[in-house]
Amino acid sequence: MPRTSRFEGRLLIAPLTAFLIALLGFPLVLDIIYSISRVGFEDIRAPEPIGFSNYAKAMADPEFWAAAWFSLRFGLIVSVIQVVAGLALAVFLAPLFAKRPWLIALLMLPMMVAPALVGLMYRLILHEFVGAVPYYLLEWYGDFPAFLGRDWAFTTLVTVETLQWTPFALLILHSSYAAISPDVREAAALDGARGRRLFLNIDLPLMMPAIGITFFIRFIDSFRVFDNLYTLVGPGAGGSTTSMSIYIYQAFFKVGDIGLAVAASMLLLVASFVVLWVINGLTARKAPL
Amino acid sequence: MRKPLVNALRWLVFIAAVVILNFPVIATLVTSLKSEAEIMTNASLFIEAPTLDNYAAVFAMADRFDILHFLTNSLVASLIGSVLAIALAFPAAYAMARFGAGRSWLLPLAVNLRAVPLIIFAIPIYLMYQQVGLLDTRFGLALILCLVNVPLVLVLFASSIADLPLEIEEAGRVDGAGTLRLLVYVVAPMSLNVVAASSVLAFIYSWNEFLFGLMLTTNSATPVSVGASFFFAASGGGVRWGVAAAVMILATLPPLILGLLMYRQIGRSMTAGAVKG
Repeated sequence: MPRTSRFEGRLLIAPLTAFLIALLGFPLVLDIIYSISRVGFEDIRAPEPIGFSNYAKAMADPEFWAAAWFSLRFGLIVSVIQVVAGLALAVFLAPLFAKRPWLIALLMLPMMVAPALVGLMYRLILHEFVGAVPYYLLEWYGDFPAFLGRDWAFTTLVTVETLQWTPFALLILHSSYAAISPDVREAAALDGARGRRLFLNIDLPLMMPAIGITFFIRFIDSFRVFDNLYTLVGPGAGGSTTSMSIYIYQAFFKVGDIGLAVAASMLLLVASFVVLWVINGLTARKAPL
Repeated sequence: MRKPLVNALRWLVFIAAVVILNFPVIATLVTSLKSEAEIMTNASLFIEAPTLDNYAAVFAMADRFDILHFLTNSLVASLIGSVLAIALAFPAAYAMARFGAGRSWLLPLAVNLRAVPLIIFAIPIYLMYQQVGLLDTRFGLALILCLVNVPLVLVLFASSIADLPLEIEEAGRVDGAGTLRLLVYVVAPMSLNVVAASSVLAFIYSWNEFLFGLMLTTNSATPVSVGASFFFAASGGGVRWGVAAAVMILATLPPLILGLLMYRQIGRSMTAGAVKG
């Protein structure tokens, strides 16, 4: 590579690099400094180093572990449901989409709505007097649960998240299903494979990489859930719906414990790196797409 | 014999999926078109006397909660955020694809950034903004929206530029065009499709962003994703559900319409972003 083009290359990535240093690198350094300091809003410019006691405080806080457990459980459950539902819809509805591709637009619409607004919408829809869901449940079954109460909040949130993001799984898995060459299916059909066997032995293995990617993207997104949770229940339901993101937000804005909030952030960062490391390891071993 | 039956079942499943998945928007739209009195007596999905009163009421309370102000904030911040993300990512993606600059660290960094919960950086960014006076400004919010969008835009550009034929650029070089000139007059025009598709997606993501809007703004720059909840408390006591519903529809309409018009580009970008990342 000639010297000038290497120089030009560096010049072209310089603005983006500078931007990332300012808005990611610098905050990360602040995160690290504040996480090992005693610091309040008054002495924000003069953090006093105190070692790892903020980390110890976070690790000793049962609410921290409750939030971590909530995020993990929530992320795993919604991603599994979304992938299964998305896969089922993608395969079953494929003939419709093949003839009329625009139909999929109607199923993509939920993704266009802000999750925060979806949370607000459910406050209306699930409201005991003016909500449509309690109205119809009462009409049909004569009863409805306290959707946002302690017993039901988790199920409600799983449903809300699943209904909004199953379309993502549907979209990715549909394009992966549609990309399977007809030749492959014809060859398999000649060998006598059809129906369920064709799907299990031919389609499913070919779609496996897409299924894996969809699962990981959905897991990562729902693990850090904040918006719809915050607007729908906030810290409600007796704290049983506090995700990691909500925990950090509250430690900072409600409690004002900067050190704790930042230490929890760093622990979350480490956890994300572990997840990424696992994902990269798994995808590296798999065949390329 | 069985074929038409299965086909009918497919349509049934499709229609059920459309209604269930879009239920929040449908039910909210229905509520927004009922009168305040009807909302309290009729919670069903059928409207007895459709009215636009709630929408009129939303605009009538502009002195306390100005929906146009929130919508404008979202529009301005999202536009700046998306354009800036493209302006930063486009040359960088070109440098990666053609010169290999930063391909070994910048691209993986950006890709992995999508997997990192951004709340990790939210607190130091809040403290930084406090010091430099960017709190509650549209530009401050736009910078964050740009940060949110950069990974996806970079991945999309990097893969699409790598697919462009090299010959045209080489011909340009022979004619004496420099890199900047090539970028503006040759590579950019050939990439218009990707630029359009990724800017629509970036705009929608920006419009829908909530966490940083909540943390970094108080009023002057509050985006509509955050401002919408203000209307829930607008009447002091109980929620005026009709007004709240109308606000939510107004806040949702822009990305919804974009999504309907550009579903093809959005779908392609989402798929490419997922697979290439």
